[in-house]
Amino acid sequence: MILYDYVLSPSCYKVRLLASLLVAGIDLRPVDFHPGAEHHSPEFRALNPAGTIPVLKDAELVLTESGAILTYLAAVNAHEWLGHDDPEMQARVANWLAFSQRLTASAGAARLHDMLGFSGDIDALRVQATDALRELEAAIHARRRRGGIFLAADRPTIADIACFPYAALAPDGGVSLDSYPSIRLWMRAIRALPGFIEMPGIHRLHEQMPEPGPMPDVVRKESA
Amino acid sequence: MIATMQDHWYPVALASKLTRSGRDTLLLAQPIHVRAEASGAPVVTCDGRVLPVLVKFGHVWTSLGTPAGDVFDIPEAHQPGRRLVEVGSVKVRCSPLRAVENFLDIAHFPFVHTDVLGSEPHTEVERYEVEIRDDVNEVWATKVKFFQPQAARSAQGGITTEYMYRVPNPTCSVLYKTCPPRPGEWDVITIFVQPLTETTCEVWPWMALYDDDSTMTQMIHFQQLIFLQDRSILENQLPALLPLDPGQEIPTRADMLSIAYRRWLKRHGYTFGAQLVAA
Amino acid sequence: MSSIWIPVALSQDILSGMAIPAHLPGHDLVVWRSASGRIAAWHDRCPHRGMRLSHGFVRGDFLSCIYHGWRYGENGHCSKIPAHPDLVPPAAIKVPRFDVREKSSVVWVAPTGQAGEPVDYRGFTGFRSLSVNAPADLIARAVEGEERLAGCSVVLLVQALQGRGCNLHVLAAEGYDTAQLDGLSLAIEVLRRRLEQAVAT
Repeated sequence: MILYDYVLSPSCYKVRLLASLLVAGIDLRPVDFHPGAEHHSPEFRALNPAGTIPVLKDAELVLTESGAILTYLAAVNAHEWLGHDDPEMQARVANWLAFSQRLTASAGAARLHDMLGFSGDIDALRVQATDALRELEAAIHARRRRGGIFLAADRPTIADIACFPYAALAPDGGVSLDSYPSIRLWMRAIRALPGFIEMPGIHRLHEQMPEPGPMPDVVRKESA
Repeated sequence: MIATMQDHWYPVALASKLTRSGRDTLLLAQPIHVRAEASGAPVVTCDGRVLPVLVKFGHVWTSLGTPAGDVFDIPEAHQPGRRLVEVGSVKVRCSPLRAVENFLDIAHFPFVHTDVLGSEPHTEVERYEVEIRDDVNEVWATKVKFFQPQAARSAQGGITTEYMYRVPNPTCSVLYKTCPPRPGEWDVITIFVQPLTETTCEVWPWMALYDDDSTMTQMIHFQQLIFLQDRSILENQLPALLPLDPGQEIPTRADMLSIAYRRWLKRHGYTFGAQLVAA
Repeated sequence: MSSIWIPVALSQDILSGMAIPAHLPGHDLVVWRSASGRIAAWHDRCPHRGMRLSHGFVRGDFLSCIYHGWRYGENGHCSKIPAHPDLVPPAAIKVPRFDVREKSSVVWVAPTGQAGEPVDYRGFTGFRSLSVNAPADLIARAVEGEERLAGCSVVLLVQALQGRGCNLHVLAAEGYDTAQLDGLSLAIEVLRRRLEQAVAT
């Protein structure tokens, strides 16, 4: 499996993150999204006419939507991440995969505007991002009232992975996360999953590491 | 005579990416327009006035004032065999001076660039040497050493890396770093900062590396990964302006370079993005 | 009715080992809970390089800054500087603290050394905190005397945020079932929309 990848893309990160959580091997093919705009090149658009990343290629299968890629990775590697236990859960997952596009179009676009200088009505994008985050917050609180924290089940599913990156990186686009206590707890639960990996803007959960003692002598010798 | 901040050169575009329609941007809070002529030559204007312009290290440089000479040089960057990496720009909501100061800091590596440029328990910063070289009006730090799990794209496993830092211009810095595939040579990693306002900037990293294995895109991604890990730090420092007077922040021996940088900024009145009296 | 104690969060939203940002008039705060469950409210600023401590991490009974790992104990004193592992940090390096109390599962903060205790709403427990994009005084007037929402007995605490609207902390009487609380959550969303529309027009 080859992932056409950009290190700063939250949508590509969804795929890398799920692959890491599932211990599924994928090969990365870096795309020079910025500053090279390689995703607009004729060669790339022959692969994906929409000119978007990520793209997952597995033999003859070419997937260009992150939700479909997450679904495929889970279906191949770890069925329980699909959240297909019953019709209700399955529908919830589908709803969150679609919802995640609202986060991409709002918080994600605000981030590209503020960080990489893309055009956009930044005030309108932030209002839309706030609307989407409020909806997410209310939904997670409803899960908490039932003793859960993840979006679609009592365990993490691809629904959580689809929504996590753009929510967590909202501050990159000038959208504060200060007033979303349930989102904060949900993000923390995701960051604490075994196999979790970061992307720039999302820090390691250093609290999971033990407080280190003195520097081991062996390293000092190596450096001499 | 020491140039004021107005008289320095600043990066405002990648020469290779400049278009005829160009782009509107800011320099020291002044609106400017950067574009390419039909010949490809860059033109920078400010309120109808044509500004001085030159191309160096892949970037278009300009100045609002009267620069005394060329953009500072990096002689090592001209050595044959180096790969010149245009990383592109990233905007940050922070003082341009804070962006440079963060670049001069190694003590944050284990916490912000975890498992790449540093990792616990290897957090100690040993004593290094700092000087302000008055003959060239530059700040230098030498004999900086730090243990790094993956110092560069080309590094295999952890090594103790040696660094030299150089500040030749109030918003630019050059880092010379142990070159994993070619012992005895230094990789050149720079940060060129375009001051937009006192609390916002556009950062243009650029590199001249010995690396025959990585693709250009891989090298760009490695540097973007590193810099974007810093961005969320830079946007959350208080106050937003860099305090030049002692008292508001507490430096330690690991911060000797930052202390020298602040002293140098204050001495020359390079205060766009700085705070002089503790608020 | 005015009190120096400001409600900044609900206890349930700050787990052991977590640090969150919060606000008092004129001050940004970090509120954090140690592994052993002790809560603290400090200036949200590391004295070293001004980084917000609310981005930091908790290990045991210490809060560390995310930037350089400077570690602070419960009294706000710096106990470790990782760049100099053998150095005992000078006692002068400390983060200013605020007084903090947990009552009715609400986290209350006040400047240190003030007399008095926050109100104890016996029989109520924290339900939801949410931000409202409208001035606090307007919200306070609008919800004054509002003791029931969606059939639930509630206490509404309004926390002003400078230039950023306000937070509404909703306490509900103990003992409601999930269906009743679902109704309450919807009613709070309706209330927020109504308040924000009133400001917009």
